[in-house]
Amino acid sequence: MEGLVVVVLLLPVVAAIATYLTAPSLHRDSVRMLGMVLAGKPAGEIRLGASWGVVLFDPLSTLMAFVVSGISLVVHVYSMRYMAEERGYARFFVLLDLMTAALLLMVSAGDLITLLIAWHLIGVLLYFLLGHDTASQSAHRYASWTLLTYRFGDLPLLLAAGLLYQAFGTWSLPDVFSYLASAPDTRTLFGLPLAETTAGLVALAAFARSAQFLLHTWLPYTMSGPTPVSALMHAGIVNAGGFLINRFAPVFVTTDGVLHWVFFVGLVTAVIGSILMLAQNDIKKALGYSTMGQMGFMIMECGVGAFSLAVYHLIAHGLFKGTLFLGAGGVISEARHDDGVPKDDLYTFVVERRSARRQQPWLLMAAITLAVPAIILVLAHWMVASDFFQKQGAVVLLFFGWVTGAQLIFSTYRMRSENIWRLMGLILVSFTIVVVGYTLISHAFDLFLYPDPVFRDRIYIAAGIDVIWFDALVILMTLVVVLGWLAAYYAEENGRRGKARLSALWRSFYRLVAQEFFVMRLYARLSRGLLAIATRLNVLLRWS
Amino acid sequence: MTSIGYLFAALFLPLFPFSMLFNQLFARLPRAWPRMGLLILWPQLGILALASQGERPPSWMAWWAVATAALYALRTLALRDLGLWTGYMATSAWVLLWPTAAFGNSTAGSAGLAYQALGLSVPFVLLAWLAGRLESELGAAYAGLCGGLAQTLPRLSGLLVLGVLAAVATPLVPGFFTLLATTVHALPTSPGIALLILTVWLLWAWSGARIVPGLIAGPVCVDLERDLGATAARLLGLAFVVLVLAGISLSGEMT
Repeated sequence: MEGLVVVVLLLPVVAAIATYLTAPSLHRDSVRMLGMVLAGKPAGEIRLGASWGVVLFDPLSTLMAFVVSGISLVVHVYSMRYMAEERGYARFFVLLDLMTAALLLMVSAGDLITLLIAWHLIGVLLYFLLGHDTASQSAHRYASWTLLTYRFGDLPLLLAAGLLYQAFGTWSLPDVFSYLASAPDTRTLFGLPLAETTAGLVALAAFARSAQFLLHTWLPYTMSGPTPVSALMHAGIVNAGGFLINRFAPVFVTTDGVLHWVFFVGLVTAVIGSILMLAQNDIKKALGYSTMGQMGFMIMECGVGAFSLAVYHLIAHGLFKGTLFLGAGGVISEARHDDGVPKDDLYTFVVERRSARRQQPWLLMAAITLAVPAIILVLAHWMVASDFFQKQGAVVLLFFGWVTGAQLIFSTYRMRSENIWRLMGLILVSFTIVVVGYTLISHAFDLFLYPDPVFRDRIYIAAGIDVIWFDALVILMTLVVVLGWLAAYYAEENGRRGKARLSALWRSFYRLVAQEFFVMRLYARLSRGLLAIATRLNVLLRWS
Repeated sequence: MTSIGYLFAALFLPLFPFSMLFNQLFARLPRAWPRMGLLILWPQLGILALASQGERPPSWMAWWAVATAALYALRTLALRDLGLWTGYMATSAWVLLWPTAAFGNSTAGSAGLAYQALGLSVPFVLLAWLAGRLESELGAAYAGLCGGLAQTLPRLSGLLVLGVLAAVATPLVPGFFTLLATTVHALPTSPGIALLILTVWLLWAWSGARIVPGLIAGPVCVDLERDLGATAARLLGLAFVVLVLAGISLSGEMT
């Protein structure tokens, strides 16, 4: 039964080869069927080689293989007609099948070499999928950016693998994790702690793959590829960073402080990705930055120790972002005939940015937003467990979700809500849904992915921070939120005068955002500089 | 004897500035076949010279070698001529056999090094042949001069892509395992060398991603009808599969 895992990995490869070999002699319908039917099935476990080629069959690999297979199948089905008029039809399905195989190999890799090979191949295959339209030079240019960023992310993973191999003399992931658990204080180069060093390198590899800030520039610009590739990339490839951190969870639990940095990077990415998304006037770039923001949240979840929740997030994000991409063409086509948007209060607020005639008292809304979660958290702290905060780092995300959700409801419903009790009811229902949803999903994924309760506790301990720091950060973040409200209130109450004072600052900020924080420009300048040096060297050395 | 032996090794596993001699010679050869022969033989002579020393090269030579590899990897970024690119890349790749010899698995011995050199050379042989073919078709194998080859010469373009992928040490070709093993073995004693090898690897990928689109992507500039025959393309594709299988079989002793 376990041997089936090999079949699972080989099926997409067989599909790719069969598509290539038979494409010239078969009708396109047959090519589609070959590509579709043979690609992607569920997983198992086996050892194919002496030192590498180990395929794992654990909850994480099973779940991820299921997700990859499912998304791949949907993308295959969608591509059948979408790509029908495109040049290189068979090549597209060959690459798609190989990508499915590489993704399945990555999620089920049981040793470091196999993981490195799959990790590396995904970047290469993505390059060719993004550059599928060989007539488009811009598609290839941005595909090159993607490849370069991915290769940059491959290297820290390779270094981490090398350090672990040198420390324990094995490439096997379960063996490495078991050795590290028995000797968590192992030292590596320059006397550095092995666990922290490798965890930091793995996190860096995850950042590059999941488009974290400063390694994100490839993502919003890779929209020149075919739509099914965009869907696959946003649904099943870019979130590999979350998978990688989960795969190396046994390393992360032995670290001290690394997850805090992971949280910080995720936070910065989520904020910057969301800001950049709002500033785009190109819908595809906006979707790209939206994915960047979502990846920031996923990495943040890992940073607070909610590893299994990050897996849930990457699955949920994959499904909804894949749906958005695959449905985009149809939506645009329908919108050309009728935009279908009802011109009600919600429309005027969201699209035309006009608030409603009657509004509830502003300060009351602010007080409720802060008071409700504070009361619930204090009650939980008092009635459920005195160390509630330390055990549940993910509660921070809960708070974040609450504030966001409550603000959205205030913003959208305040315009037509005459009844304050109805509004309160809506808010409490939304909060209950968030809490129950979070608790159930988190619990279910925790039990499935990390059945050992001791290990689960260790993840939260590794992600936990000192109570004083925690309180200070909560107060700081609350102050930031309140100051934001006050600024908005001030601008609203003082009309044009207030806006004028803020406008200079606002314009500077908008300029910064419109230029995407100058990151892309900086990289372009650096690469131009490097190319100029290379040219000068060639001339100096007479091209020999 | 030792100094002369190392001098020969430095010439044939070309350390800078001896590498300039190889690249001058390679560029002056008028046809593809002598270039292909040179690409096979040159590093093997270097391995023979290195093996005749009977000892691991000193670590300062490994530093010199990775610096040479980095220099040529950087210089390939500015190249557009496929023939020249092949020569520079071959220089950058072969010279990494110095750290392989200095830090690698001692049980592999000189035969192991010779196989690794062969594994590194084969993609360049294919590229030299393709460059010759493009020169005869277009007058020059020059990226950006006449793009869109994927549309006019799909089989040749496919092989070109495979050749470049193998040249930049993509899994599962032998070059991948050579670089992986060298990096991992250099890591405990010379982490700086390991980091430099990784940088070279990154530059190769960048360089490959610059030269390939310049040849195969873009609008068609001229209609060409003399693509490779299906049988020739399949045979060369098969050779690539053999290269991958060789990489997998060599990976055991290297890792």
